Amino acid sequence: MSNHSKNNQTRRGFLKGAGVTAGSAAMLSGLNQSAQAQSSDPVVIGCPAPLTGIVAADGIEFQRGLEMARDEINEMGGILGRPVEVVTVDTESKGDDVVIQAAQRLIDKDNASAIITGYNLETGTALHDVVADAGVIAMHSNTVAVHDELVKSDPDRFWGTIQYDPPETMYGEGFLKFIKDLEDNGEFKRPNNKIAIVTGPGTYSINIANAMNGGAAAFGYEVSLFETVKVPVTDWGPTLAKLRADPPAIIAITHFYTQDQAQFMNQFMTDPTDSLVYLQYGASLAAFRDIAGDNSVGSIYATVIGALQDEIGTGFADAYKGRFGDNASPNGGGQTYQALHAYALAAALAGGAGAPYEEDQNRVVADRLKSLIYRGPMGTMRIRPDTLSAYSYPTETNDPSLGMPHIFSQVHDKAKDGVLIAPSPYERGNFQLPPWMKS
Amino acid sequence: MDVVIQIVITGLTLGSMYALASVGLSLIYGTLGMFNMAHGLFMTLGAYVAYSVAVAFGIPLVLGIVVAMAAGALIGIITHLVMVRFMLGTADFGTNVLVATAGLGILIEDLLLKVYGGYPYPQPLAVEGFTRIGRVTVTYQAVIIFAVALILILGVAWLLLKTRFGRAIRATALNREAAMLMGVKADTVFLQVMALAGMLAGVAGLMISTQATLSPQMGGDPLLKAFVICVVAGLGNVWGAGLCAFGLALLEAAIGFYIGVRFGFPAMLILVILVLIWRPQGLFGSEKVVRL
Repeated sequence: MSNHSKNNQTRRGFLKGAGVTAGSAAMLSGLNQSAQAQSSDPVVIGCPAPLTGIVAADGIEFQRGLEMARDEINEMGGILGRPVEVVTVDTESKGDDVVIQAAQRLIDKDNASAIITGYNLETGTALHDVVADAGVIAMHSNTVAVHDELVKSDPDRFWGTIQYDPPETMYGEGFLKFIKDLEDNGEFKRPNNKIAIVTGPGTYSINIANAMNGGAAAFGYEVSLFETVKVPVTDWGPTLAKLRADPPAIIAITHFYTQDQAQFMNQFMTDPTDSLVYLQYGASLAAFRDIAGDNSVGSIYATVIGALQDEIGTGFADAYKGRFGDNASPNGGGQTYQALHAYALAAALAGGAGAPYEEDQNRVVADRLKSLIYRGPMGTMRIRPDTLSAYSYPTETNDPSLGMPHIFSQVHDKAKDGVLIAPSPYERGNFQLPPWMKS
Repeated sequence: MDVVIQIVITGLTLGSMYALASVGLSLIYGTLGMFNMAHGLFMTLGAYVAYSVAVAFGIPLVLGIVVAMAAGALIGIITHLVMVRFMLGTADFGTNVLVATAGLGILIEDLLLKVYGGYPYPQPLAVEGFTRIGRVTVTYQAVIIFAVALILILGVAWLLLKTRFGRAIRATALNREAAMLMGVKADTVFLQVMALAGMLAGVAGLMISTQATLSPQMGGDPLLKAFVICVVAGLGNVWGAGLCAFGLALLEAAIGFYIGVRFGFPAMLILVILVLIWRPQGLFGSEKVVRL
């Protein structure tokens, strides 16, 4: 048996167990086989991620996602023969100053061809100037509209910074539409017309809360409470007292820190009101169920970028948990995992990754990336040409194959990931009235 | 009425945690004249050690408190023996020890990160269940936090006011040289104070982790609050720190309900500014610095 055949068998076997779509992986594998190895120098991917601090639960997953994608890509021959190497720098859940320094170091010291991360607790525009000056690509999931505005303000300068998920403004409108669908289907009957919105102090959370606040009236809701909490929230007592004094039909928490959301559920469940509880993003991580336990059951959470529960998403989730343990969160790791796979494919299609300050080659890679319609465990990544953010389904496109789904899930079992209940065709279960609500 | 009860419950719960954190900090400042910037990490360490022992052996909360106290005392003793005692009496002690303990805090945090990672673990020693006062829910955990704080603070007060050990601490705090001339072993007193403050910090960390979660950074916010409380009370005034902890927590809870949660801590900071303008020595401080 030739080495070539051996490699083919290994890769075939590998692809079967990998989380990515077999088609995408096969394409990269094919490109690698048909190309001559460019060099043995690794393609360095820099990852400035919050490995410590208040959002470390996410940062750890971002690192894991990259590691898993790296190993799969290298198993397929890397990027045109060059192995992928991931270098991570801890941004400590801090802001622009730390993220900028980390990215600069990854480019200048570690020779990163691209910066790929999830989100950082920054303004959402910390990476843009760093990578524009260095002529490299950055892929992030900061999920902020300010990225869109900056890119639109100077598209020639910010050609290489891609937000591979939709901006946060999709959350507000999407949530109200989701509730309307539940009501239209007879799955939820509002006990009153009140909605309470609880946000964190950050721009991200406030933007989502403002979108809900602004859109609530159009869906027949009156905002009975609009509360901003401090970070971290040790005691939800004052907020819960207000909610209990005037119980709303819906409690929407856009303050997204996982442990704070878990503590909210723990304290809410001591005397729950007849309210649907929506938790934006944080509850999608396993740490939420780990901390809240039985109190997590019935809560609804949403994310504009999360692992689907279809063949591709489940395949990824199983492989991910098989590698990192049952407490690992595919919703977090899947973000960087999908981004690195998409980057590797785009770089291979472009004839190779560019080094720092090789702007011409990196622009070619960016062009390939922007023209890809990449289907991974998080759904379809298709980049808007004007904002360099991913299209959102169903808010921006009604074709599920052309946008990243804004998914809604509900915790049915504290020991398992939440069940995806919307949007169609990705749902894998039905909405269940939370155990604390009156039917 | 329910609202008032809720504010009192929240205030007492927060106040208990603040008091445990600030009394230890104040005790160290009052005796050694040092700001222990690693105090927050003493809390964190106590919480993590109790967590580890609880996971390994399934111990009850009472034993968990003992473990947290032991861990806090041990790190306090080590800090004194390895670092503080060599700096005592040197020029610019206050500034040097502040920087040194800040460095120690970073070291402990990094070690905790190495050992436990950044994953936010739930504290298994947390007690479930609740009762009601009127229509207000009171968790057993909140009751325990209040009871533990009360017992420990009264215990410290008894220790300081009614025992030979306490007299030695007070004498050393008032005038180290005079105390030594009277036969008090100041070095031993400093060691004991560091151990005692560490014990309080360890328990504070355990209690805080039952209300929040375990993370290497969990001591940062309580440390900040403890500093604010110590300044308002008067630096080094142990009784004042305990009282101010409850007073400020009640104020924070009331502002959180009537004005907005996000205004609670800013209100505390405004109060600090006002107190420092009106009484630079703090509410319970005095010009002569009679600390107890």
